[in-house]
Amino acid sequence: MSQWMILFRKEWLEMARNYKLVWIPLVFIALGIMQPVTSYFLPDILKNAGDLPEGSVIEIPLPTSGEVMVQTLGQISQLGVLVLALAFMGIVSSERKSGVLDLVLVKPVSLPHFVTSKWLSAVIVAVVSFFLGMLAAYYYTTRLIGELSFGDFVRGSVTYSLWLVFLVTVVMFLSSFLMQSGLVAFLTLLFAILLSAATSLAPRWMEWSPARLTTHASAFMVSGEAADKFILTLTITTFMIVILLLSSIQLFKQSRT
Amino acid sequence: MEKLITVEGLSKRYGKDVAVDDLSFQIQKGSCTALLGPNGAGKTTTLKMLAGLLSPSSGKIEFEEMSEGDLRKYIGYLPQYPVFYNWMSASEFLTYVARLAFLSKKEAVVRTNELLELVGLEDARDRRIGNFSGGMKQRLGIAQAMIHSPKLVMLDEPVSALDPVGRRDVIDMLEELKKQTTILFSTHVLSDAEEVCDDILIIRGGKMALSGSLQELRERYQKDVITVQVKGDGGAWVKKLESYDWVLDVTLEGGLMTLVVDEVESAREKILREIVDLSIPVVSFSVGQSSLEELFMKVVRA
Repeated sequence: MSQWMILFRKEWLEMARNYKLVWIPLVFIALGIMQPVTSYFLPDILKNAGDLPEGSVIEIPLPTSGEVMVQTLGQISQLGVLVLALAFMGIVSSERKSGVLDLVLVKPVSLPHFVTSKWLSAVIVAVVSFFLGMLAAYYYTTRLIGELSFGDFVRGSVTYSLWLVFLVTVVMFLSSFLMQSGLVAFLTLLFAILLSAATSLAPRWMEWSPARLTTHASAFMVSGEAADKFILTLTITTFMIVILLLSSIQLFKQSRT
Repeated sequence: MEKLITVEGLSKRYGKDVAVDDLSFQIQKGSCTALLGPNGAGKTTTLKMLAGLLSPSSGKIEFEEMSEGDLRKYIGYLPQYPVFYNWMSASEFLTYVARLAFLSKKEAVVRTNELLELVGLEDARDRRIGNFSGGMKQRLGIAQAMIHSPKLVMLDEPVSALDPVGRRDVIDMLEELKKQTTILFSTHVLSDAEEVCDDILIIRGGKMALSGSLQELRERYQKDVITVQVKGDGGAWVKKLESYDWVLDVTLEGGLMTLVVDEVESAREKILREIVDLSIPVVSFSVGQSSLEELFMKVVRA
């Protein structure tokens, strides 16, 4: 077994021992279930809990299944991203801070192996958790709200998952040279918020922006087709992920001297 | 003896601060060398550079017969405060680092068992490292440094943080390791170095202050010393003793005189005679040699 696999397996063992493999998927599944269920029961909830005057008629049109899925993505953009940032903020920086890196790196460990094994394990956990959440959302949406093409759902989810991979890579990048895990999470969230805000405020200028992937994903869910310049966004994002990963390796090398 | 490492002009600067300044030395194959110096002398920085954890600002480190590829294969290193993955057990950690050092699965298990036995952690092999005491972590640290049978093992202050029993255990372990590999360890306690080492390097303020084999240093610097404890302050007599040319150095502290003399046989006789002649109220009288501790203090404070 190659050194890369040894490092990769260690990540999984660690995530199993500290229950990340349990709670991260659970959070996403909960997020996925919540939106269709609350949309469906909203009129009932209001009827029973609201202090509405006698005789008032509540008419809330049931959203379409595509809209519910888009709302689910909205939840994931906030809570899901927060959870991923918190879960992986210390992926390198906490090991550096504790000093355990000194023991590992005096062994003939390849630094690119070290960084990429961590990156891939985080990406797999993030993407698999996200899909579990989306499948839960899809299941409840189609049961409670209405039909939704499975193909559109998959296309939308895959598109959105690239946005998550991009953000996990940003976490990895920051963690590779920063000492403070909290700072890693904060900067990642700040970056995600600023990029999303800039993308929606200046859509013409930001067609290439990875944050546009959320727009494309929503478009797939609602209309079955991506928004404009889908390929551009896809290419730029993939390119940026590669660049960030390579820079992580480089910064990680430099942070040791 | 063949040399294993040649270090030339090794320096490390952090901005304007110089942590290590132009160090040059050699380490013989199969030897045990102590890197001595007070706190902040640059011992850890030097070891980290040799271990490849820090890159030198300038200077050369040459390893004989291991010029190819990744030098870390040949080096074992124990940091001053070893930190492990607390969620792993002792045997898991050792097997993990063994595999990282390219041992096969089988070899890794064999070495893990061997080393757990050597450092006396067989009973704790399946316990989580998070529950280990400081002494146990130090032992595990030594085991991980030895796991891939390195040609050079570097230990940063391996005994400084231990209680007397733990210290004894680690010193005994070092005696055992000496048979297997070359050792370089740092300490600020000379007696630890004297106990296990053949060679010492004393550094101060990042500079080499003194180096050589212990034997050589003893021969060169150890002097005959006569100590006399007198009642009262004995100041007058000291003045008289100072004037003799066979007395090289005198110190007086609370009635305890330490005389460094050139010829111990005749000096003893002369002093004893004076004690009788002048009726000096002597409490104790002893003849011996200066300890290296004094030399160390002198070098370090100079």
